[in-house]
Amino acid sequence: MAANSGALIEIDSISKRYNETVRALDNVSFSVEGGEFLTIVGRSGSGKSTLLYIIGGLDHPTGGEIRISGNATNFADRDALVRLRRKKVGFVFQQFNLLPAMTAADNVAYPLLFHRRPLQERCARAEELLGLVGLADRADHYPAELSGGEQQRVAIARALVADPPIVLADEPTGNLDSRTSSEIYQLLRDVNREQGTTFLVVTHERDLATFSDRSIELLDGRVVS
Amino acid sequence: MIGDYFIIALRHLGKKRLRLLLTVLGIAIGVAAVIGTVSLGEGIRYNAVETIKTQSDLTLVTVHPGVSGNTVQLISSSRISEIQNFPHVVGAEGITRDTYATARQTFIPVMGIDSVSEGGLLNLRYSRGRPFSTGSLEVVAGYRLAEKIQRFEGIRLGDDFVVTIREYDASGKPVDTELDLDLVGVLQERGDSLDETLLVDRGAATAARNEEPSYDSILVRVDSPEEISGLIDRISALQLEATGAFEQIESVNRLMDMVVLLLALFAVISLVVGALMIMNTMMTSVYERVREIGITMAVGASDRDVISLILSECVLIGAAGGIMGDLFGMAFAALINTAGRSFILSRLGDEFAVLFGTEIARVTPSLLIAGLVVSILLAVISGLYPAVKAARLNPVDAIRSGG
Repeated sequence: MAANSGALIEIDSISKRYNETVRALDNVSFSVEGGEFLTIVGRSGSGKSTLLYIIGGLDHPTGGEIRISGNATNFADRDALVRLRRKKVGFVFQQFNLLPAMTAADNVAYPLLFHRRPLQERCARAEELLGLVGLADRADHYPAELSGGEQQRVAIARALVADPPIVLADEPTGNLDSRTSSEIYQLLRDVNREQGTTFLVVTHERDLATFSDRSIELLDGRVVS
Repeated sequence: MIGDYFIIALRHLGKKRLRLLLTVLGIAIGVAAVIGTVSLGEGIRYNAVETIKTQSDLTLVTVHPGVSGNTVQLISSSRISEIQNFPHVVGAEGITRDTYATARQTFIPVMGIDSVSEGGLLNLRYSRGRPFSTGSLEVVAGYRLAEKIQRFEGIRLGDDFVVTIREYDASGKPVDTELDLDLVGVLQERGDSLDETLLVDRGAATAARNEEPSYDSILVRVDSPEEISGLIDRISALQLEATGAFEQIESVNRLMDMVVLLLALFAVISLVVGALMIMNTMMTSVYERVREIGITMAVGASDRDVISLILSECVLIGAAGGIMGDLFGMAFAALINTAGRSFILSRLGDEFAVLFGTEIARVTPSLLIAGLVVSILLAVISGLYPAVKAARLNPVDAIRSGG
C-alpha cells in the first residue's frame, strides 16, 4: 500500500504475534476510504477482532503501522492512544457492553464525560442520539430492562455520540436473532449513508457482507480476498 | 467534572449496599474509637486545666534571677521598670525573701514587699486586721500561717512577738539578731504559697539584716492568662527565670499529651483495620468490574480518568465513614458523660469530682473535622492501589473478560 494514498485508514503490514508460533495477524495491509462501509469476514480466530482493536488503539501490533488521516498511531504513547479512542473511533461490541448501573441515556452520554463536556450538552446529545437509533422513549431504562436489539442500539448511539469519523463494530449482531440483525445492519448502513461515518464491521456471517461497500476476508491472520 | 465522577461513583456504590454499609461501618468504628479516646483525654485535660485556673492565680508570674553559663542575672530596679513596660503587664514589683525563726524554732517564710494594701498586685484580701504601715516592723500573716502560729506559739492578731534572724559573721560563725514584730493583719485563704507566708515591709526587712536594699525576685501581673506565654518569652530574653501557676498547666498538658497519644494509638489500630476493609472492598469491586473498566477505557477514559472514578468511590466511602464515625464518637462521648461519669466517680471517690467536671469526654468541632478528614484521606490511600491496578488493565483483556 502506498503511504500517500490519501485513504482515511491505512493498515500497513500489521502483525500480531503472541509468541513464536501463534500469529493472530500476519502482515495484513489494506486501506479504507473515508465514508466507506467495510466488512471484515472470517472464521472465529482469524484475527479480525484483534485487527479492529489495534485500529482503535486498544491493542498493540507487534509489527507494522496504522495511519489514520495520514498520522501513524504511536502505540508507545498511552495518551496518544487515549486521544485516538476519544476523538477518532467509536466501538460497538458483540456483547453490547453497556454499563449496568446506568440508564440508556447515561450510557450514551458516558464517553462525553471524558471529553469534559458540560452535563447539559451531554444530556442533549444523548437524547439526540437515542432519537437517531429509535429509542427516544427508552432513555431512562436500564440495560437489563432492554431487549438485545435495543441494547445494541444504545451501544451504537454511544459509539456515535462523540461524532467520531470511524466506527469499529466487532460482531455487532453476533448475539441477536436474524431479524434484529438485519435491523441493526440497516441502522448502521443508514448512519453511514446519512452522516458519512466510516464503518469497519467484523462479522463471521457472509450474507451480512452484502450490506457493505466492500468486504475483506481474513484467514489465519492473512488477507485472502 | 469531579461532580460527575461522584455521581457515577454513587451509582456503583448503590449497587452493593450491604457491602458498602459494612465497609463504611468498618471505617466509622475506627473514627469513632479515635474520637472517643481523644475526646476523653481532651476532656480530662480540659477539666484539669480549668481546675487549676479556678484554684490558682494564673496571671501572676514570679521572676527569679537567671543563671546563664557562668553569669547570674540579678534583679535590679532597672529590670523591674523594664518588665513593667512590657505589653500586657499590669504591674511589676520587686520583693525580697527571707526566713525567720520564732521563739519555738518554727521557721517562717518571709516576703519583703513595699505595699500590702487591700487588692494591689497580689490581689490581697484581709480576713482580719489591716495592712502594715511602711517602714514599720508591723507584719501581715497568711491565713494558714496565722492559724499555725496561734496554735503553736500563741500569737494572735495584735500581739507583739519576737523572731530570730540568723546571720554569719566574717569568720563564718552564726550571729543571731532578734526582731520585735507586731502582727497587725491576717489575709483570707488563697490556696497558694502566700497562705504560709509572713509579709513584712521590704525596707524594714533589709534594714533588719543590715543589707543594702535589693530584690530577690519580681512579682509580675499580666492582664489575662493568654498573655503569659508572651511574657515568659520576653523574660527569658532577659535571661531571667519565670515561675507561676502556669507551670502546672504546662505539666498537665505534657502529661495529657502522652496519655492522649497512647490512647489514640490503640484507636488508630481499628482505623487501620477499617482502611484494610476499604482496600479489600475496592479490590473486589475492581475485580468484579474489570469489563466495565475496559469499556470505560474503550470509550475514551485515560488512566487518570479511571483512577479518578475509583478514588471518587473511596472519597464517598471515606466521607460516609467519617460522618458516621463522628456521630458514633459523639454518642460514645455522650454515654461517658452521662452513664460513665457516675460510674467513674463511684469507683474513684468524690475527691476526683473536680477532675471530671460536667463533661468528661469533650468532643470539639476540630476533632470532628479531623475525624472526617482522616477518614477520607485513609479511604483514598487505601483505594490508590486498586485504582492504579484498574488503570493498568489491558483494555482488550478487560473487555473480553467475563466480569
